[in-house]
Amino acid sequence: MYFRIIRNDISNSKLITLTTMIFVAAAAMLVSLAAVLIVNLSGSIHTLMTQAKTPHFMQMHSGDIDSARLTAFAKQQGNVEDFQVAEFLNMDGAQIILGEHSLVNSVQDNGFSTQSKKFDYLLDLDGNIIHVNDGELYVPISYMRDNTAKVGDIAMIGGKEFTIAGFLRDSQMNSSLSASKRFLVSEQDYAEIKNLGSMEYLIEFRLKDMSELRAFEAAYAAAGLEANGPTVTYTLFKMMNALSDGMMIGIILLVSVLIVVISLMCIRFTLLAKIEDDYREIGVMKAIGLRVSDIKKFYLAKYAAIAAAGSMLGFALSLVFKGMLLENIRLYMGESHNSSYASLFGIIGILFVFLAIIAYANRVLKRFRTISAAEAIRYGTAQEKNTGTNRFNLSGNRLFSTNVFLGIQDVLSRKRLYVTSLIVLVISAFIILVPQNLHNTISSKSFIQYMGIGSYDMRVDIQQTDHISEKTAEILHTMNSDPAITKAAVLTTKTFKVKTEDGSEENIKIELGDHSIFPIAYAKGKAPAEDEIALSAMNADEMGKQVGDAITVVINGDEKALTVSGIYSDITNGGKTAKAVFTDDTADMMWSIVSAELSDKALVHEKVSAYAERFDYAKISDIDEFVSQTFGSTISSVKKAAKAAIIVALIIMVLVTLLFMKMLVAKDRHAIAVMKAFGFTNSDMKIQYISRSVIVLIVGIIAGTLLANTAGEMLAGAAISSFGASMFRFEIDPLSAYLYSPMMMIGSVLIATVIGVSGVGQIKISENMKE
Amino acid sequence: MKKLIIGDHIVKSFGEGDERRHVLDGVSAFIKEGEFVAVMGPSGSGKSTLMFALSGTDDVNGGTVVFDNQDLSAASENELSDIRRTSMGFVFQQPTMLKNLNILDNIILPSMRDHRRNAASLTIKARALMKRVGIAELEKRDITQVSGGQLQRAGICRALMNSPRIIFGDEPTGALNSKSAQEIMDIFSEINEEGTAIMLVTHDANVAARTERIMFMSDGNIVSELQLPKFDGTDMDRRVESVTAKMLEIGI
Ligand SMILES: Nc1ncnc2c1ncn2[C@@H]1O[C@H](COP(=O)(O)OP(=O)(O)O)[C@@H](O)[C@H]1O
Ligand SMILES: [Mg+2]
Repeated sequence: MYFRIIRNDISNSKLITLTTMIFVAAAAMLVSLAAVLIVNLSGSIHTLMTQAKTPHFMQMHSGDIDSARLTAFAKQQGNVEDFQVAEFLNMDGAQIILGEHSLVNSVQDNGFSTQSKKFDYLLDLDGNIIHVNDGELYVPISYMRDNTAKVGDIAMIGGKEFTIAGFLRDSQMNSSLSASKRFLVSEQDYAEIKNLGSMEYLIEFRLKDMSELRAFEAAYAAAGLEANGPTVTYTLFKMMNALSDGMMIGIILLVSVLIVVISLMCIRFTLLAKIEDDYREIGVMKAIGLRVSDIKKFYLAKYAAIAAAGSMLGFALSLVFKGMLLENIRLYMGESHNSSYASLFGIIGILFVFLAIIAYANRVLKRFRTISAAEAIRYGTAQEKNTGTNRFNLSGNRLFSTNVFLGIQDVLSRKRLYVTSLIVLVISAFIILVPQNLHNTISSKSFIQYMGIGSYDMRVDIQQTDHISEKTAEILHTMNSDPAITKAAVLTTKTFKVKTEDGSEENIKIELGDHSIFPIAYAKGKAPAEDEIALSAMNADEMGKQVGDAITVVINGDEKALTVSGIYSDITNGGKTAKAVFTDDTADMMWSIVSAELSDKALVHEKVSAYAERFDYAKISDIDEFVSQTFGSTISSVKKAAKAAIIVALIIMVLVTLLFMKMLVAKDRHAIAVMKAFGFTNSDMKIQYISRSVIVLIVGIIAGTLLANTAGEMLAGAAISSFGASMFRFEIDPLSAYLYSPMMMIGSVLIATVIGVSGVGQIKISENMKE
Repeated sequence: MKKLIIGDHIVKSFGEGDERRHVLDGVSAFIKEGEFVAVMGPSGSGKSTLMFALSGTDDVNGGTVVFDNQDLSAASENELSDIRRTSMGFVFQQPTMLKNLNILDNIILPSMRDHRRNAASLTIKARALMKRVGIAELEKRDITQVSGGQLQRAGICRALMNSPRIIFGDEPTGALNSKSAQEIMDIFSEINEEGTAIMLVTHDANVAARTERIMFMSDGNIVSELQLPKFDGTDMDRRVESVTAKMLEIGI
């Protein structure tokens, strides 16, 4: 009997049933993919870290090292299984050229190592320990991913030539979130380039009993051993490896939650409409003594069927897309050892979606309890007093045309039903606006300024060369006598030592010069004056400094106290920079930048080529070009995402509106027939339905926009902070966000409504009114 | 009297192929201006179908329907809507009021479409009508808060709002007890007195006996007619008797 009921019901509402099923399938697919990804990710990480023998405890250290003391400590600790000190030769990005790409703008700390002897191996893409020959270079896998390098390319490291022999997996530094990247060279080559960079030591331990890690950490700290650098444990390595794919899993889960909500809304709408329709029947069933739970079963059966079909479809789809999403994990971490469990967890995820749907439908059906049998049989409708519609009488209506009035009236008196489509519209507006605002923000001029780049037109980078200061002076001189250039400024970056709280020293890159010529925006405080220093957000964070705190910098051998004047966001040079105005002639110049403003912006291109020709040792760039190189790929992928989001959201809006309207018309056919009998034309009826749609739409757009500007901004801010921005405000393009997007939404919903209500014309008075 | 509606050899069929059958099998019928007619016949004989055909609410498969010299079978949907709104009123058996609106709003609804600016005068007219049918105190009520008889009176008010030339009633008293039914018929008689034509479909001989002409239908044809003198409040028993006699004669 259930089967017959389901079949009849479904054939009466094919479209909405199908759509609901598709939404359920999409949700089930995403949840299952997320589950599969989680299992594979954890499995692959485990495999990688086992094969590479990742250290359980690692202390990074820059400065001198007392090997004998460390060895003694390792011997004396009963829990230590193995101990080694690995070297990491940190080299400036400007010194590393892979094929045609220089790593000068790389945000990573790139460094060179030799293969470890005992553990912490660097692995090839099959998970084997790499044996590297002289002249060969193995490159971190992330440079393969972003197409910076390919096998066979020639690499120039500090002027020495290498051939890229392959890519490596590094269980410590694989993640794009890890600030450092290890390149692998042979022992002999390493010795040759050793003096080109600054040395950092990786003091590494493997323990017999991982659970005693805390005790070991405490013992290391207590022994007062080398500790000038971060400490990283096995757990943290694991987390870093999980993070970027974890973020993708997070986004998939977020999207699947939205889709689950949309499918629940479809179900809610159908159910509420069905209950309204069947009000009298439900009353009769109650009157003849059926229990509420019995009646519920008739209705639940259909949703169980939809949910089951959707879940199965979703599972099938997840099998199709699984490979694509696992590609990244496989590339970075290799195969998982427990992938056989993955499908099991996928199924559990799907089961979860299935149960959520049943539970929700069951909840909506709770309304049965409140249906009075007598009322239902006598009036065929709920006798609930329509709050809010009382003062809204047709007889008192002067404002709206009668059709518009009836539309508004209907929305007000069936709030429950319309809230459902409202939620879908709000979600869609949110999906449209957030990525769009994000894109607009990160591509706006003020954001660039905010990200640590002043508003100049042309920029000259002088690095990777000798006599930097002479060359810089020459360029500045030329610019000063160039009438097309209105102002120019030189900023020179040098490395200094800075004293940390515990008395140890750290390197800091400080940009010296006049920072007032092309000011940047400070998140806190202001530009540095004499005896002051401004820190990038990442540096301030890491050093634990606030505006007003003091910092001790070693200049020319003397310690000098500087006050932190301001904190700014910076996306250049790995986000760790500082700005000051003091003069110093001793420290080595790492690079310098000459920035210039032109009187006529149209000349930028011409000027750039002219200077490039004249000063072939410098890199001359148009600022827009510089920005697009620095984070153009981020902007363009956000742009793509924004476009995709618009399309997806519009499709959802159109589909859901279309279905809801079709259902409403089918449901209201009796009322439509009554009005037609009294001389309302088909277009009158359509205007009524369009008014309903427009009201819900307007509320939806407003609510969606508000939500996007608050919750959406927070969400986007969280994503952006990973680039080194400390504070985030949406930069909204009012034309696009408040005119084009709403117009697009209104347009598509209106079209969908018009199509959805076209059935009004087919409703025959006679068929609905015949006695 | 001039004929208001003339139906000529109306054919209406339902179904496809072998299933296809004529529900109206070339029926010719008319209604004069200001005339009070009834249609009787067994269930399924085509009474409602005839009513919908004559009012232009349903298209026909053959024949013509002319309302006030206008061929309804050739009129556009919108023209038909306009005619229904301005010249016809409908009263049905089941309540056909909109759930969202209160009684008063339901009554003025059809006229508000064209005369929104005159809402005040429409309200006055509606109140007068409600008073006349005895539901003056119900105007603010929801449609679920009144009895079936009261709802039917409100339905009549709604049908009268645009001062139609004819009112169609498909078993308007079918769901009411005999006392309520007679009260409703009193209202119909009064309206008819004022010159509005009325066509009622009914099973009830007491209802039919109030009219001046009764068409008897069977299997999609008008098989007989009974002409009565205009009802003046007297002779009710004799009129009912002649209706029942006729019903017996043709076997319905
Ligand atoms: N839409 C329809 N489709 C098929 N048959 C119909 C339809 N409407 C009415 N009929 C058939 O036409 C016949 C006459 O119907 P109707 O005019 O409603 O009868 P009455 O009002 O006299 O009881 C009935 O046999 C009915 O089954
Ligand atoms: Mg009938």
